[in-house]
Order: sequence, then C-alpha cells, then structure tokens
Amino acid sequence: MTTFLQACLDGLLIGALYALIGMGLALIFGVMRIVNFAHGAFLMLGMYASFLMFDRYQINPYYGFLPAGILLFIFGYLVYKLLIQPIRNRSEFMQILMTIGIDLILIDLAQLTFGADYHQANIDLVNRSLHAGPFTINAASLLSFGLAAVFIVGLQQFVMRSRPGQALRATAQNRDVAPLMGINVIRIQGLSFALGIAFAGIAGGLLLPALYLFPSVGEDYTLKAFVIVVLGGMGSIEGAAIGGLVLGVAESLTSTYIGNQWALAIDFVLFLLVLSLKPSGIFGRQRA
Amino acid sequence: MSGWRFWVLLGVACAVCCLPLLSNNNYLLQVLFRIALFGGLGLAWNLVGGYAGQLSLGHVAFFGMGAYGLAIFTAHHVPMWISLLLAALVSTLIGGVIGKIVFRLRGPYFTLATIAFAEVLRLGAANLQITGGAIGLSTPSLFTGEAFWKLFYLSAIVLAVLSFLANYWTSRSRFGYYLMAIREDEDTASAVGIDTANYKLRSLLISAYLTALAGAFYGSAFQFIVPDSVLTIDISVQIAIIAMLGGAGTLFGPIVGALLLVSASELFKNEFGERHLLIYGTLIVLVVLFLPEGIVGSLQQHVRRRRKPPASSAASALGRAEVQGVAEQ
Repeated sequence: MTTFLQACLDGLLIGALYALIGMGLALIFGVMRIVNFAHGAFLMLGMYASFLMFDRYQINPYYGFLPAGILLFIFGYLVYKLLIQPIRNRSEFMQILMTIGIDLILIDLAQLTFGADYHQANIDLVNRSLHAGPFTINAASLLSFGLAAVFIVGLQQFVMRSRPGQALRATAQNRDVAPLMGINVIRIQGLSFALGIAFAGIAGGLLLPALYLFPSVGEDYTLKAFVIVVLGGMGSIEGAAIGGLVLGVAESLTSTYIGNQWALAIDFVLFLLVLSLKPSGIFGRQRA
Repeated sequence: MSGWRFWVLLGVACAVCCLPLLSNNNYLLQVLFRIALFGGLGLAWNLVGGYAGQLSLGHVAFFGMGAYGLAIFTAHHVPMWISLLLAALVSTLIGGVIGKIVFRLRGPYFTLATIAFAEVLRLGAANLQITGGAIGLSTPSLFTGEAFWKLFYLSAIVLAVLSFLANYWTSRSRFGYYLMAIREDEDTASAVGIDTANYKLRSLLISAYLTALAGAFYGSAFQFIVPDSVLTIDISVQIAIIAMLGGAGTLFGPIVGALLLVSASELFKNEFGERHLLIYGTLIVLVVLFLPEGIVGSLQQHVRRRRKPPASSAASALGRAEVQGVAEQ
C-alpha cells in the first residue's frame, strides 16, 4: 500500500508539470483550432534557455525558468506572426504540416547550435529529500510542483476572470462571431499562441533539473501533451490540468508495477483507449 | 493519357530506370535504390494521404512491421521469399485492425492516432525479446554477391512501378473518385451513399501492403534493423513530405518528390555536413507557405487554369463519383 501511495505521490508531482505543458497546448488548440506539433520543441528551447543561464551566469533554474518563459513568449509571438498567421485559414492538413516543419527546424537548429551532447544542470536541491512518515519526497520535485501549481491557477484565473481571457474564450467559442463583438481575433490568437508557448517554456525550465538535456528531448513531451489534452477533452484548459495529473499518476504506477520502459507506452495506450471509447475526453463535454 | 500510349510510356520509363544497371558504382546504386524505394513509399502513402486526404504519420508502422516480419519469420526457418510475402501480409492484416480504429477519427485526432500506433510498435520492438530489444535483429539478405545493389535497385523499381499502377488505377476508377469525394467533404460523401469507412480502409490496406514490402527490402538491404532505424517517426514524416512536396493526390508528385528530396539530402550531406538536417523542416515550411499543392499539383493547376475556367474540385469529385455510381447501377 505504501508503494502504491508513494507511486501516486510521485505521479502527482510530475503531473503538475505535465499539466502546464498540456494547458499550453489546450490553449492554442482551443483558440486557434491548430494542433501544435512543435510544442515539445518549444519546451526544449525553454530548457536550453534556462540551461544557458545556469551554465554561463550560474542562475538557478528555479529563477531561470521565468526569463525563459518570457523569452519563449516573445519567440512564440514571432513564430505566430511569421508562420502561423499566414496559414490560419488553410486546411487542417496544412496547419499540421506547418507545425511539424517548425518542430523539425527547431530541433535541427538546436542540434547545430548546441551539438548533440547531453547536458545537465546540477543543483544540490535535486539530491535532497524530505521524509514524511513512510513517504519520501524529492525537494526539487516538490518545489517544481509548487511553482507549477501557481502558474496553473494563474492561467486558469487569467482565462476565466480577465478581459483578455474573456476575449480568448469568446474566440474559442466562435471565431466568426467574436470579431462582431469587437474582438481583434488575430491579436487574440497571437496572444494565445505566445502564452501557450510560454507555458511550454516555463515547464521546460522547471523540468531542467530533473532531466538530461539534448535537442530532441521534447519529442516525447509533444506526444504526452496530446495525450493530456485528449484525456481532458480537446481545448478545455481545466481538463488539461486534470489530464496532466492523471497522466503523471498513470505513468508512475506503470513504472512501479510493470517497468520503467513501459511508462511511455501507457501514454499511447491511454490515448488510443480514450480516443476510441470517449473521444470527447474523460472530463470533456460532448462536442456539438 | 490513355490506352496503348500509357503502356508505351511506362515501358520507356522502365527502360530508362534500368540504365543505371550498367554502372558498377555501388554508391550511386545505393542512392538510386533509396530514391526508387522512397518514390514507391510516397506513392503508396499517396493512396491514403493524397487521394483519400487522410494525413497519416504512422506509415512507418507498416514499414517496420515488414522489416521485422522478414527478420523474424526467416529466423524461424521460413524460406526467405515466403517470409517476405508473409511479413507483408501480416502487416496488412494488422494495418486493417489499426485502420478500423483510427478511421473513426478525423483531422488532428486521426493523425495523432496514427503516430500513437507507430510509437507503440516502436516501444514494443525496443522492449520485447522476439524483436531483439534495442539491440535489434539481423535481417536475411534477399540478394547476395556482386550484383547486390543492382538487384536491390531493381526490386525497388519493381515496387515503385507496382505502387504507380495502384495510383494510376485509383486516379481513374470509381474507387478513386470515392476517395477524392471523401477527401473533399467526408460528410457529403457519406450523404450521397459512399461507405466512407470502408473505402478509406481499402485504400489503407493497399498502401500498407506496398509499404511493408518496401520496409522488408529496406531492412534486407541494410542487413540490420533496430527500432530507431525502421520504426522511427522520421520515416513517416519523410514519406509524407516526399508526397506533399511533389504534390499529394497527383500521379507523378511522389516520384518527383523522392527524386528531389533524397538526392538533395544526399548532396547536402556531402556539402554541408550536419546542416543537411535543416532541409526537411525548411522544405515543409516553404511548401506549406508557397506551394500548398506541391510541385506537380501547382503545375497541373497552372495548366488547367489556362485551359478552362476552374470548377470546384469538391463538386467535380462528387459529381464524378455520383455519375460512376449511377452507371454501375
């Protein structure tokens, strides 16, 4: 029983980071109806940004993730303006291809700039653990969890409470009527894309202490992000947050009871199960 | 192009393709083998991705199953050439099961599901005993001796011609018109009485069979397979780009795409070293921005525009499907 609870606990800790990644993707999908296949590549960029600050200027990744997120916000907005906006009315087929192209370019650029070597940000916190009764909690994971939670709640509040958030939701609901209500749809789409990318960057920065860094590190996370978003119901931001936690726990239980190498497989099994049994997502409402 | 003229042209094209057999340059033959193989793969993908308009990024699943099937069956003492056919057959059957599930989904869901299936297979191959895990398997050589690359090149050409014929038949049969109608508007297609799930599945089965054969030849030519060489998503992407660059849903597009992309990446590899990686992504972005119909597709559109006023392709594909359907009855 302790093993089971410990696995659930570890899953929840990593799940909060998954939630961040998934919420970014859900935001972009909800507002733009574009599935961002480059999501993991942006996450990778966030990791490199955070790593470079650590490596060159000894900035702790737990501060560095914030500038990394801001950089990614700006970069995401540029990518939207240059590459996404021109094709925003093209077929789904073309939009998917475009984000795949962006994904490949980012990974290959990272490979050319930083080389294929593995990097790691060594900070003390990663080796420290807290003990609570029979359970062990990694201090770094706990800190990541706390910071992630702040951003999850922040994004949720922003979308539900603020004026721009209202415009985001209006655009997501109906992008033909939204402009009639005086909403600048292009600006709102740019904002949601940049914000989604920034969240990928923040998640990258927070993941950095726990992972080895290499150019294609993000690929698995692109796929995870899809699984999370599908679990939570395409386009639902709260759904994605819950989906992230569910995925974290599912993975953790799989590695504990079946084996580490199957953790990624459970992602796809869950994904295919949800898609074939309840395509609107576990927590999603039936789509019209 | 119809009747005897088509077959004469095809014969001439085959004869031209046989010219490299006179050369003894193994490097050249190896590159040509890959061009022909990926041309065939692009054509096979074109049935699903081009005519039926279903963006599959999981075709590496069939490719890998073909390669692994060949290795596993021969390891269990099945004669080599029978293994080849068995591997393709099994891949097609599994493809049918996959198709049953993924074709219930549309758009991004469909694309994601195809990726997920391919990834599950890759993870399975990397972790199971029968596939040799991450160490991989050695594959039997279908050909040996001096003429190794010549014979492999020739088989790739045969495969490409088969795929081309499948495309040719699709482009002018009722089956193909149904697929195009599905591509243009699936709901309308189903409303006029086309069994959309059934036709999409059929196109996938043909495509999977050809893709698996190509995978088996690829595995055999390079003699050794690991999950990251024959089950990586990169191959799925490469196949799709080849077809899209040339023009998805056109007869000659995938051939043009393979010629350009494989030779370009080979040239860049020698010229720019590591930087050749960038061309795939850059090409995709450029094609999407400036050549959404692909090279052949854009040329065709240009020619068509000069000949007659454009008709809505959706309406015409549906119209043709309907006329054919009525004629059948």
